[in-house]
Amino acid sequence: MANVLIDGLKERISNAIIANQSIGIILPGSNYPDLIQSLFEHIRSNPDEAWVYVTVTKPCENLFNEIEFIGDLKNIRFIDCISRAAGISKAAQNCVLIESPTMLEKLVIEIMNTFRDVDVKTKKFLVIDSLTNLIIYNDPEIVTEFFYLIINRTRTKNIHMVSIAIEEEELDKYLNRLIYLNDKILKVRDSFI
Amino acid sequence: MAVVELSKDELCLSGIEEFDVMLGGGIPVGSTVLIVGGSGCGKTTLSMQFLVNGAKNNERGVFFTITEPLFKLTKNLEGFDFYDKKLIESGMVNLIDLRIISERLGLDTEKYTVEDASALLDILKDIADELNVKRLIIDSITALCYRLQTPEMIRDFIFKLGSSLAAMKCTTLLTSEVPPRKFQYSQYGIEEFISDGIIFLGDFERKGDLIRTFQIVKMRGASHSRTKYAMSISSKNGVELAPLLRARE
Repeated sequence: MANVLIDGLKERISNAIIANQSIGIILPGSNYPDLIQSLFEHIRSNPDEAWVYVTVTKPCENLFNEIEFIGDLKNIRFIDCISRAAGISKAAQNCVLIESPTMLEKLVIEIMNTFRDVDVKTKKFLVIDSLTNLIIYNDPEIVTEFFYLIINRTRTKNIHMVSIAIEEEELDKYLNRLIYLNDKILKVRDSFI
Repeated sequence: MAVVELSKDELCLSGIEEFDVMLGGGIPVGSTVLIVGGSGCGKTTLSMQFLVNGAKNNERGVFFTITEPLFKLTKNLEGFDFYDKKLIESGMVNLIDLRIISERLGLDTEKYTVEDASALLDILKDIADELNVKRLIIDSITALCYRLQTPEMIRDFIFKLGSSLAAMKCTTLLTSEVPPRKFQYSQYGIEEFISDGIIFLGDFERKGDLIRTFQIVKMRGASHSRTKYAMSISSKNGVELAPLLRARE
C-alpha cells in the first residue's frame, strides 16, 4: 500500500511541478512520511533543478537518517528552523541552522541568500515543511504575513513553492487561508489512489 | 524638505544592499551619522562592515574605539567573513584606540577641559587628513561625550568634527549608546541635532526571542525610507536586512 501511495504522490507532485505552479499540499499526518519520501525521490530524479527545503518539522539530521540518499543529493540545500530549538547545534551537510522558528525574517533572508547562488536559468523550488508547524511556534497572523511575503518574493524571482499543511480533523482556519494562496492544491487522502 | 538627487560620486555606499536601497543609493558623502542603539543591537558590527566595504572599494577608513581594547575588537572581527586582515595590513582599514591617543597627548582620561577637547579634535582631524580617509567611525560618541563636561562642549566638538570631516569628503559614523527598549537617540540629547543622519537599531521580544530592528530616522539630503526593518547579523554575511513582520509586534 505504501509503495502505491508513494508512486501516486510522486506522479501528482511531478505533474504539478511540470506546470510551474506553486503547490499547497494538504495531507493527514499519517501520510506525511510517504509524502516526504515522494518529494525527495522527485528531487533525486531531477538533478538539474535546484531545491531549498525549509524544515520546521524535523531536524535535518533526522531527515538524513530516515531517507539515506538525501546525503548524496547535490541539488538541494536545507534550512533547518528546528534543530537549534531542540538543542542541536551541529549543522548537517548542505544545511543552515536558524536559531528559532520565530526568526521568520531571518528565514526570509536565508531563503533568498541560498537561491542567490543558483544560476538564473536553473529551475528553482522552495519547500516549506510545514505551515502547520510554523503556526505552532508563531502567532497565526505573523505566519500569514510571512507567507504573503515569501510567496510574493519567490514569484518575482521565478521560484516555485511547495508548502505543506498537515490536516487532522479539519484544517485550521489560518492554514486554510494560507494554503489556498497557492496556484494549485493537492489534497492527499488515504483513499485517494 | 526638498531633496536634490545626488550623483554616484556624492553617495557613500554602505555595501549592505537593502540599506543602500532604503537610502536611495547611499549616505550623502561627508555626512555625520549617528548609529543609535542599546547594547547588543549591532552598532559596532554595522559600523565595521561599512568601513570594510568602503576599503574593499578603495576608500580608506579609520575606526576609533573608546569602548573596547583593540585586541578584543580584532578578535570579534575575525569571526566575520567580511573581515579581511590584509585590509588592516595594507592600511586601508586603520583601527585606533582613542584612549591610548588621549594618554599620549597627556589628557586626563576621565574629564576633558576645553583645551583637551580642542587638542583631541585637532589630532582626529590630522589623522583623517594624513591618512586621507573617506570613512571614519567613533565607537562610541557617548563614551567621548562623557569626558566632555558641558553640553556646549559636546555640541562644539561634534559640530567642528563633522564640519572638518565633511570638508575632507569623509563620511562619519558615530555610535550612540542608549538604554535598551527606549526610543531616544543619545545620552546627552545633543548629538542627534548636530548629526546629519540618525539610524536607530533596536530590538523587541517575540515569543522569548530578541529580534533586531533597523530604521533610518533622518538622513539630510537623501530621500530615504523610514520603514522599520528586521536586522540579522551572521558570521557569513554580517548585517542583513529584511522587511519586518509586524503582526503583534
